[in-house]
Amino acid sequence: METPLRGHMHPISSLIREANSIFSKMGFTFASGPLLESEWYNFDALNVPKDHPARDMQDTFFIKDEKEAVLRTHTSPVQVRFMEAALKAGIQPPYRVIVPGKVFRNEATDMTHEAEFFQIEGLVVGPDVTLAHLKGTLSHFFQELFNGSVEIRFRPSFFPFTEPSVEVDMRLTSPDAPEKLRGKWIEMMGAGMIHPNVLKNAGLDPAKYQGFAFGMGLDRLALLRWGIDDVRYMHSGDLRFINQF
Amino acid sequence: MLVSKHWLQKFFETPLPESEALGAAITFHAFEIDGINSKDGDDIFDIKITPNRGHDCLSHRGIAKEVSAILKIPLAHDPLSETPVLAPVTDKIKVTIEDADFCPRYIAGYIKGVSVGPSPEWLRRNLESLGQRSINNIVDATNFVMFNIGQPVHAFDAAKLAQKDGSYSIAVRAARAGEKMMALDNKEYAFTEAMSVIADAYADVAVGIAGIKGGMPAGVTESTKDIIIEVANFAGVPVRRTAAALKLRTDASARYEQVLAPTLASFGMHLVAELIQKIAGGEVVGFVDMYPAPQKEMQVSVSLEKINNVLGTSLTGAEASDVFMRLGFAYKEEGDVFDVIVPSERLDITIAEDLIEEVVRIIGYDKISETMLPPLDVVPAINASFNATEHAREDLMARGYSEVYTSVFAEAGERAVLNKVDSVLPFMRTTLVDGLTEALKKNMPNKDLLGLKEIKLFEIGYVWKDGKETLMLGTVSEKEAVKEYVLEVMAADSYEVLPLSTATNYKPFSKYPYMVRDIAMWVPASTDAQVVMEQIAKEVGELLQKISLFDRFEKGEKISLAYRLIFQSFDRTLTEVEVNEIMAKIAETLKAKGFEIR
Repeated sequence: METPLRGHMHPISSLIREANSIFSKMGFTFASGPLLESEWYNFDALNVPKDHPARDMQDTFFIKDEKEAVLRTHTSPVQVRFMEAALKAGIQPPYRVIVPGKVFRNEATDMTHEAEFFQIEGLVVGPDVTLAHLKGTLSHFFQELFNGSVEIRFRPSFFPFTEPSVEVDMRLTSPDAPEKLRGKWIEMMGAGMIHPNVLKNAGLDPAKYQGFAFGMGLDRLALLRWGIDDVRYMHSGDLRFINQF
Repeated sequence: MLVSKHWLQKFFETPLPESEALGAAITFHAFEIDGINSKDGDDIFDIKITPNRGHDCLSHRGIAKEVSAILKIPLAHDPLSETPVLAPVTDKIKVTIEDADFCPRYIAGYIKGVSVGPSPEWLRRNLESLGQRSINNIVDATNFVMFNIGQPVHAFDAAKLAQKDGSYSIAVRAARAGEKMMALDNKEYAFTEAMSVIADAYADVAVGIAGIKGGMPAGVTESTKDIIIEVANFAGVPVRRTAAALKLRTDASARYEQVLAPTLASFGMHLVAELIQKIAGGEVVGFVDMYPAPQKEMQVSVSLEKINNVLGTSLTGAEASDVFMRLGFAYKEEGDVFDVIVPSERLDITIAEDLIEEVVRIIGYDKISETMLPPLDVVPAINASFNATEHAREDLMARGYSEVYTSVFAEAGERAVLNKVDSVLPFMRTTLVDGLTEALKKNMPNKDLLGLKEIKLFEIGYVWKDGKETLMLGTVSEKEAVKEYVLEVMAADSYEVLPLSTATNYKPFSKYPYMVRDIAMWVPASTDAQVVMEQIAKEVGELLQKISLFDRFEKGEKISLAYRLIFQSFDRTLTEVEVNEIMAKIAETLKAKGFEIR
């Protein structure tokens, strides 16, 4: 019998495989958590107050007749879930975790926005994890992923679950970078030092431990990496798209 | 928030840098900038104030203070530098606050004998630069103070309020169910008991929606002579809820939503009373300041050691104290600990980490080095579920299956989404079957285009069934029905090294239908099939989507070559006629080379 042509992997799956391989060499564990989340893990535990606008009906999908149940709006709930589970198993920091997975936003879809999309979360906790480690880790990740010289920079930002909070921009500088991207600063993700309340909510003593966290859209990363022009292909199931990868 | 550079400049004696440099300073030390627009000789900055800085930075003064700290240029004058004394106190206005949690502070100011008229040129220009309409000198003065220091201000026409024994009575109270008021936007609003109004207590009518908008019943007009000014503090959450419920979000409500410091109110009253007297005349009768629980001073401490431990820096005490000084924070330095007294409008600073953020953003994130994490002595645990998905994926791809992700939303299911924007597919799926069936159907017509003999698909994804969230694997192909099963975890000691996508660039595909044509010919044995293919491709040009040699055999001195051509346009549906014409042209070209078309 003739061997069939090899099928194609979804670009997001390839990115997750690659990210896991880069991060696992830096000691990161792959963690996951439920997509249908509780408001506690999705918001409260992450220091997002009850009356925060993001908790309004507009942005979050709620579940009928299930109080407190939401479709997670980010991969960050796994931060607290992971730390709690580790402590329960008697494992103290250091923790190094990545969480790739699907997330949801209740918004109209267009070429750059989808109601369901993928994120990758990163979490590092220890007695002496610093903002400089965050910069070093992300810089290394992008250099591996884009196979060449990459610069990153931080800009001030705000997230309830990190303090200080930063936006992370990236710039590809090698001459063989795609022309559309070469030399241009591109906003990649939000990040920062974990807010002490988040550590507390997970059961850790913020006087003893600190760390950083980051969250990045994988769909957007795929768009940049391969020059994809419409994010809606990701869930289209269309092989004219998928078989290019 | 829109910020006028011209307005900002008034806070400084030294000229501000060029707009591009000023924009960069703000971007890298404070806030993202959405754009800078030139307008009538001024540059207007559209600044994205983060939610933690709505307390102080939805104002020109707030941005000026930031610029002063970032660029290390002193503020020539700071309207918030010295707490003003509001004198004299008057008994002509009574103020009652029903709920001090909703309204921690309410200052009323009574000014008699103003002349309402057009605003002076500078004031009109300032407001118009922000896209605001100049109304009259009184209303403009209240708006100016709001855009200047971030404190909303409102003016009532005193003559339209009821009087008793020569005095007025203002109440901040819950609206009554069904209570209505015509607001200054000429629209009538109906309230619920969850909303709060400003009422003329003697007449018992609403004259304003607390923290949101003034009412027509006491609006300032051309004929207004005596005014009562309101500078108050309202709680953020109820104002936000009321504004949302009434679909009436105003510049005032947007500021209260962010929560303002009660201390700001006296500055606002002082500034607006002064400005009104300057541009509209009148005489201050006096003020009433209801402020039952004055805001407490916030003190936050941080050690230099902690700053450096969090940031991974080796800053000196002098560098940290320089930041506090530039920000105008009062502090004491004891040992290596800084005890900082936070300016009252900076409600965002409550813990040591907040001070660390102030230090790092002012000195600049570019000063943070890139440090690799030290190696760990433990091997990271293998995720058995991810390991299982990776193995399943490899196995299926080797068997010719391609991976799809379809939506988790479905027509039917056990658990419904409460608030789907479009109300289509309102359930969480219970199966992968529907998504895979649909995907198969969608891909079938594209088989030739894809160069596939058979469409084979798989999906690894979650379903919500029997009250559980379960990871499933589903497959489908033309020849077999959809199958799905629970993906069992697979423990391992390490991950296998598996291939990644080798794609370098995605090529957009046409959304228009394609057409398939075959052409076969006899050619001499010495002919290179690849060269023939290139000749055909050149002849067709950009309408050729794909060409492949699908058959080749030899007979004596001759070879038979058969090519399959796929035609497709990026901007239209091709017609039979034009494709046939192209095929005829190809045939002629090939014949001219001495090939025999079969």
